[in-house]
Amino acid sequence: MVMTARLTPPRTTRRLALALAALVPLVAAVPTSPSAFAQDDIVVTMVTDTAGLGDQNFNDLAKRGLDRAVEELGVQGEVIESTEQADYVPNLTQAAEQSDLVVAVGFLLADAVTAVSEQYPDDRFLLIDAAPTEERDNVEAALFREHEGAFLGGIVAGLMSKTGKVAVLGGEDIPPVERYEVGFRAGVEAVAPETEVTVNYTGTFGDPALGIEQSLALYDQDNDIILPVAGATGIGSFEAAKQREGTFVIAGDTDQSQLGAEQQLCVVNKGVDIALYAAAQQVVDGSFEGGVLDLGLANDGMGLTTPGDQVPADVLAVVDQYREAIVAGEFEVPASRDELETFEAPVLGSPTASPAATPAA
Amino acid sequence: MATPLIFAAMGGLLSERSGVMNIALEGLMLIGAFSAAAGAHYTGSPYLGLLIGAVAAGLTAIIHAVWCITLRGDQIVAGTALNLLGIGVPAFLLQRLFGTAGRSPAVDRLPSLTSGLNVLVPAAFLLAPLVFYFLFRTKPGLRVLAAGEHPRAAESVGVAVDRYRYACVIASGVLGGIGGAFLSIGDVSFFTTNMTNGRGFIALAAMVFGNWTPFGTLGAAIFFGAAQAVQIQAQATGVPVSKELIIALPYLLTLVALTGLVRNSTPPAGLGRHAAAD
Repeated sequence: MVMTARLTPPRTTRRLALALAALVPLVAAVPTSPSAFAQDDIVVTMVTDTAGLGDQNFNDLAKRGLDRAVEELGVQGEVIESTEQADYVPNLTQAAEQSDLVVAVGFLLADAVTAVSEQYPDDRFLLIDAAPTEERDNVEAALFREHEGAFLGGIVAGLMSKTGKVAVLGGEDIPPVERYEVGFRAGVEAVAPETEVTVNYTGTFGDPALGIEQSLALYDQDNDIILPVAGATGIGSFEAAKQREGTFVIAGDTDQSQLGAEQQLCVVNKGVDIALYAAAQQVVDGSFEGGVLDLGLANDGMGLTTPGDQVPADVLAVVDQYREAIVAGEFEVPASRDELETFEAPVLGSPTASPAATPAA
Repeated sequence: MATPLIFAAMGGLLSERSGVMNIALEGLMLIGAFSAAAGAHYTGSPYLGLLIGAVAAGLTAIIHAVWCITLRGDQIVAGTALNLLGIGVPAFLLQRLFGTAGRSPAVDRLPSLTSGLNVLVPAAFLLAPLVFYFLFRTKPGLRVLAAGEHPRAAESVGVAVDRYRYACVIASGVLGGIGGAFLSIGDVSFFTTNMTNGRGFIALAAMVFGNWTPFGTLGAAIFFGAAQAVQIQAQATGVPVSKELIIALPYLLTLVALTGLVRNSTPPAGLGRHAAAD
């Protein structure tokens, strides 16, 4: 089934309006800004994965990039939400029918994008988190180095855990989630080799109630910091942290202060919005070429922020050291479980922060 | 984990015991979950939210009743339609009421008696004896059973089969709605799209596994809830078994239970049949 959250009037009405609007300058020869009409024609449609809008996470982040493109570039933005995996092909097809740039939000849409992009060679596609399974000139793949951002999150967790136990709560075990998991584990290992990292998967991105139960179980096992990488399921980690004293969440992808500012230790930012905006801009100025957008710490595609100022300065100093080392290419953060096995965490020059570092709150 | 399952499964039980198939529990739970969150938001009271969730799902169930009983439509089709409604309507209303997609604003939660146990948990466990007493020890309850076993015979001795069925289908909506409300304003403090994540169907399985009896259904719902809890604890404590297997555990146990343990599963004889001659 298809649910369309319209940001603009219904398609037919809009087509009619556009057609009429396009006639106005011809018939009446009213001088108008040509770019206004040219860009009105550009429609950007994003197709969500099954977590949908409101996941406070990945899809909402993409939507933010879309909103910015609508505001600043004057494109038309539309959203089609997918409720099950079988929706991907029909939703992408509908999106391709109606727009110039189709944004497929998520790794799980890769196969569908590969199929639909062949049917619509004149449309442009931005696929987030995956490359198409076959070479396509009209598909741009936004690939993030989640492991680099998560590595910094792991440093914060490793230095700030009081119990010496931290956890990752994954949704489905897919490559971008694995990169988060592995990067986080590597980061913890780099600064606190004794700290134990538990990795749990819920098998779903859309079940906040299950997320609470799983998080409570983790907190009750003395884990005091959880990194959820589980879409709407991860909302449950915040709810669980509210029920357990002295427990914290490291948010993935985007700032989730609205779910619990006191519980949120720091944020591993993922520039999904940046990627979407960049692709929209390329379509607007005609420079869209396909290929790969490689987004990591070096080009601010990934990052670590502390909206609640809960991380003390000495910990942030260590984070910055590692950030610089990664950007400078001094070492590679492992991106898969295989790479993690052989990874040897570099010990950087200056003394590490005191292990007694405590949250500011 | 079992509480929402118990409410929804008891609702399904009442409906099916009266002879109306109800695969719409998932949709009814979603309507209840959404309405409870919206109600709690506008009234500021989680109790009123719970009431609104129950009423809204009860009203939605009337659609099922009209279609299945009065219009004699296909009961599976009607149930499927309500399940789709349960995904679409809240998504639409979230946009209209709150201007958000996917998630409602945060609301006050039902108060906890002790850590993590809110008032609905004991209520769920009291429900099974209540339903049992009603169905097997009271006159209206026995008439419900008669309507479900042999509607034409019941009709011939003066039981208003359709009226009892209406009442039971609406009751299933109310109970399903409470089960959904438990998720949105009991477990968490907001509604998210499709947050039931299949619990309505698991409730349906619990009812079948429980052989359409109140205590059997209660036991099955607890069993399914416990399987999920085992899954969670196994992962959190780091049992060295592949996570795919652990995640699948509740479903595997369900399969084993349904194939291995259900020997004499007997649905009500009049399930899906109409009272008057066709």
